[in-house]
Amino acid sequence: MEFIRGFIDVVSVFVLPAIIVGFPLYGLIKKVPVYEEFVEGAKEGFNVAVMIIPYLVAILFAIGMFRASGALDFLIDGLRPLMTAVGIPPEIIPMAIVRPLTGSGSAAIVLDMINEFGEDSILVKMAATMFGSTETTFYVLAVYFGAVNIRKTRHAVPVGLIADGAAMILAVFVVRLLFG
Amino acid sequence: MLNYIWAGLIIFSLVFAMVYDVRDMANDTYRNGDPLPVVLSFPESYDSGTRRQEVTVSLPEGVFNEHYGVDHEGDLEFQGVLLQTTDGAELRFAQGIDLPEPLGTIRSHISRRENDLRGPVIIAGSDSTSAEATVLFNKTRFLKLTAISQAALDFAETAVTLAIGLIGALALWMGLLRIAEKSGILYSLVRFTQPVLKKLFPEIPEDHPAFGMIVLNLTANMLGLGNAATPLGIKAMEELQKLNPTEDTATNSMVMLLALNTASVQIVPPVLLVAIMGLQINQLFFSILIVTSMSATIAVLTAKLFSRFKKHKATDPMRIKAGESEEVK
Repeated sequence: MEFIRGFIDVVSVFVLPAIIVGFPLYGLIKKVPVYEEFVEGAKEGFNVAVMIIPYLVAILFAIGMFRASGALDFLIDGLRPLMTAVGIPPEIIPMAIVRPLTGSGSAAIVLDMINEFGEDSILVKMAATMFGSTETTFYVLAVYFGAVNIRKTRHAVPVGLIADGAAMILAVFVVRLLFG
Repeated sequence: MLNYIWAGLIIFSLVFAMVYDVRDMANDTYRNGDPLPVVLSFPESYDSGTRRQEVTVSLPEGVFNEHYGVDHEGDLEFQGVLLQTTDGAELRFAQGIDLPEPLGTIRSHISRRENDLRGPVIIAGSDSTSAEATVLFNKTRFLKLTAISQAALDFAETAVTLAIGLIGALALWMGLLRIAEKSGILYSLVRFTQPVLKKLFPEIPEDHPAFGMIVLNLTANMLGLGNAATPLGIKAMEELQKLNPTEDTATNSMVMLLALNTASVQIVPPVLLVAIMGLQINQLFFSILIVTSMSATIAVLTAKLFSRFKKHKATDPMRIKAGESEEVK
């Protein structure tokens, strides 16, 4: 197991330089005018970033307001009975709800929990597993769909939220199984 | 659905802010217009002619608790200055000191920039070293309503900062991928991985570059390379958009790619989490791996399942296009 982990760690360090050097090198061998093509492609970067702005503003300001108004705390309290019913410890509930909404907010929750319960506690392990195993769904949605101007998202939101919900519940049980 | 969630977030923010503020007003949490009795003591003797004097503000436990209706333990003492102005005396608490609630909230409301609690003071009786006085703070109200509009502006700014921050990484990866496309390396990647990906993305035609972008995006995600994963994912979306007959409606492939990204299979934990957890992260390696693989599987299955629902079938751009071309025939 240790060997596999070490191997993966090394791969994750080498894959970036391998791509950044490898692509142009291979292009050179294939007689592609690499510099010219790189610049041509890179031009797009700015436009894409600008395209994302309206989508990101729309999502983030709504979430920011929701958090500032205290409605988020109310939502956490409101969902408490439901979450406890599926076996999620009450201390973890804020994390489970904030995670799909904001990345910085959920990182802050993990930090708070470390201060409150200590790094070794099973609750912190659950929260960190939740953090590590899901993405900030609404941010990903805004960025990825924003970049190609997709406004009608169809089933993307429910699918993303169901996956998040599953990850939250699984995190609790897997951590209990491994460390409990 | 996003329309409702989005509108819901905004409307509930307003409702909650209003409820909260009205409750504050009903409870009179901040005792607006009701002066707080304090005892001022002067290190140098009191002189009403001196413009600026150092003072120590004392608040006995009982007086403070009774005034604000809280349970603070212990007497309070703060440093401050007494200013004599033409409009009367003003008491200013020292900047940035620790204040118990609700004084902290009052300070952040009435003196956000200077960060010193301040208010006009009326001195009732005094001798050379101390004085009985009352201090009145500006009204503290509509806290949450102020807070939500401030948050809306702040987060709009954050969004732009985030997007602008992506430009560099986007440009780098878009450039590299262009080379990969022109040199044919992407094509090898496509042929190598499409047998597997074809099952998840049946809409993508054989040998399409989208497969290559998707693989690179998923790999970057797995290896915890967030900075590379986002541009690669965006590039993959662009390829999928080229196949999309509509301009503004997501195809099934797009939803699938998004599902795989939000559920994000992680072999190497994300950098931010490593920074927070330090060495403890080593213990979490397997728990994260197990949870992400399971939740990614669930994401794939729900994406497939939901695409079969009547409602989503009816809005499927690929299906609509196929229908139209049949009609033409």
